[in-house]
Amino acid sequence: MILRCENLGWRVRRKEIVSNASLSMNEGEMLGLIGPNGSGKSTLLRMLAGVRYPSTGRVYLGGTPMAELRQRDIAQKLALVEQHADTEERITVREAVELGRTPFLSVLQPWSHEDEAIVLHAIAAVDLHGFENRNWHTLSGGERQRVQIARALAQQPQVLLLDEPTNHLDIKHQLAILQLVKELPITKVVALHDLNQAMICDRICVMHSGRIETLGAPCEILTEERLMKTFGVCGHFMTDPFDGSPVIRFHRAHKED
Amino acid sequence: MTVTDRRPNRSASRNLWKWAAIAPPLLFIALVAGTAMGETSIPMDVVLKVLSNKIFGAAYPVDRIDSGIIWSYRLARAVVAACCGAGLALSGVVLQALLRNSLADPYLLGISAGASTGAVAVAVMGLGGGLISMSMGAFAGAILAFAFVAMLASLAGGGTGLRAAGVIVLAGIAGSQLFNALTAFLIAKSANAEQARGIMFWLMGNLSGVRWADTVTVVPAALFGLLVCILNIRALDAFTFGSDSAASLGIAVKRVQFGLIGVAALMTAAMVSITGSIGFVGLVIPHAMRLVVGTRHRALIPASALAGAIFLIMADIIARIVIPGQVLPIGVVTALVGAPVFALILIGRRAAV
Repeated sequence: MILRCENLGWRVRRKEIVSNASLSMNEGEMLGLIGPNGSGKSTLLRMLAGVRYPSTGRVYLGGTPMAELRQRDIAQKLALVEQHADTEERITVREAVELGRTPFLSVLQPWSHEDEAIVLHAIAAVDLHGFENRNWHTLSGGERQRVQIARALAQQPQVLLLDEPTNHLDIKHQLAILQLVKELPITKVVALHDLNQAMICDRICVMHSGRIETLGAPCEILTEERLMKTFGVCGHFMTDPFDGSPVIRFHRAHKED
Repeated sequence: MTVTDRRPNRSASRNLWKWAAIAPPLLFIALVAGTAMGETSIPMDVVLKVLSNKIFGAAYPVDRIDSGIIWSYRLARAVVAACCGAGLALSGVVLQALLRNSLADPYLLGISAGASTGAVAVAVMGLGGGLISMSMGAFAGAILAFAFVAMLASLAGGGTGLRAAGVIVLAGIAGSQLFNALTAFLIAKSANAEQARGIMFWLMGNLSGVRWADTVTVVPAALFGLLVCILNIRALDAFTFGSDSAASLGIAVKRVQFGLIGVAALMTAAMVSITGSIGFVGLVIPHAMRLVVGTRHRALIPASALAGAIFLIMADIIARIVIPGQVLPIGVVTALVGAPVFALILIGRRAAV
C-alpha cells in the first residue's frame, strides 16, 4: 500500500510546526524520519496516520485522499505506534494487544479464533510470550513499547508508522525490533534518533524546523556536511570491520569559525 | 496448562447474554427487597400478593393501605432508584473512560449545580408562574449548565488530546462554582426558612414524593443510556491509551466523544431532575466494578449498570429505616457509604498495582 502526502502543513496559533512536506513512500520500503528535537517528525507522522488533520495539503492512502476515508477504513490499513502511550487503567498485555483488532470488529461481532491467533502471534513477534496476563503497570518502559508495537501488528496493517520505537528499549530489543520492522513486507515509516540505526532504512528523510530538507539513501544523505548543518555535530564516517557498513562517530561541534 | 484454558470471555455479545441472564433475577430480588423493607413492617406474603395482584392481575384479598404503600410508594421509589443508580453509574463509566480521568463523575460537568439552580429558580423565584414543575426547572438548568461548560471547554480549545480532557474538567469546575453561587444567591435573596429547608433536602438527593409518573422520565433515560453504552463498548475500550490511540484504532474520536458525553449529560440531567443530586454513585460504582470485573467495557458496562441500580435501591432502604420516623435524604446515605469506599479505593489502588 502506498502512502503519499502533498504540501502538508500543520499550524498552531500561526506557528508553523510542519510546512510544505511532500513525500511519497514506495511499496514495502522502510523510510526513516530523522531530525533534531522539535523538527516536526512526530507531527508529520500523526498527520500521515490520519490522527491529526493537516492545516494545508493532503495525505493519500493507496491513492485515495485520507480525508475521504472513514477513520475505520484507515485503521484497517494503517497502524501507528505512539511514543508515549500510557494508561491508568489496569489492563493486561493481552487486553492491550487485543485493541488492535478494534477496526475489524463491529459492535457485537464475536471474538473469533482468527482474532485470537493474530493477537497471540503479535505478542510472540515482539518477544512477549509468557507476558500475556501481566498487568500493564508492572511492565518496564521497554516492555510497554513492545506491547504497543504488538498492538499495531495485531491490526495487520499494510502501512506501519512508528514514532521512535526504540526509545526505552535495551540494546538487544532495539536491534530485534528494528529487524522485525525491517522484515515486515509492508510500507514502514520510522522516526528515529539514533542515526546509526537509521542506516538500516531503505531511504531517509531529514527534517529540520518543520521542513523536509532532503530525502534519499542513507549513505548518500548522511554526510559530514549534513550532520553539521542539520544536527550541529561533527561526524566521522568509519567502516565496520565486520560487515563493511558505514558507522558514524560523533563529536561536539567546536565554536570556532 | 495453555493460556487459552483460562481465557476470559472476550466476545462482547456472549458477555452481554451472560449479563442478560444474571441481571434480571438480581434486579428483581433487589426490587422486592426495596418494596418489602420499610418503616411500616408488612409481611413478605402480603408484599408478594400485592405484586401479583398488580402485575399478573391476581385477586388476593389485601389491605388497601398496604397495597397503596407497596405499589404506589415503595415500588415506584425502588424503580426510580434503580434507574437513577444505573444511569449515574453508566455516566460515570463513560466520563471516566473518555476524559481519561478516574475522578470524573456525572456531576463534574456542572449538571447537578445547574439542576439545583433550575429547581431553586422555580421553587423560590416562582419562575414559570407555576406552569413548570421543579423537575422541569431542574432539567432545564442541568442542560443550560452543561451547555455552558461545553461552550467554555470548546472556547478554551484543546483539540482531541489529553489537554482537551483536562480542559473540560476545569470548565466543569468553573461551571459548577458559578451555578452553585447562583443557587446560593437565589436562596439567600428570596427563600424563607421553610423553603430553604425543602431545597436543602432536594439538593442532597431525595426520593420522597417519587411516584409512578416519574418513571416516565427515568426508565427511558436509563434504558436509552444503557443501549448507547452497549453499542459503544469497543469504542470505549479503544480510549484506553488516549484519543490519538483511539483514532489510530479507527474510532471517529470527535463523534464518539461528543455523542457519548452528550448522552451521559442528558441521562444525568433526567435523573437529577427527578431525584436531586445523589453523589458518589457515578464515581464509586464504576471503580468498585473495575476491581470486580476488570476494566474492559464488555463487562464493566453491564456490571456498573446493575451494581448502580442495586446500590441505590439498598441506599434508599437504609435512608428509610435507619432513623425511625424520619427519612434521610438518599444523597446523605450514598455519601456516607461512598466517601469511605472511595478513600479505600484510592489507597488500595496503590497497593494493587
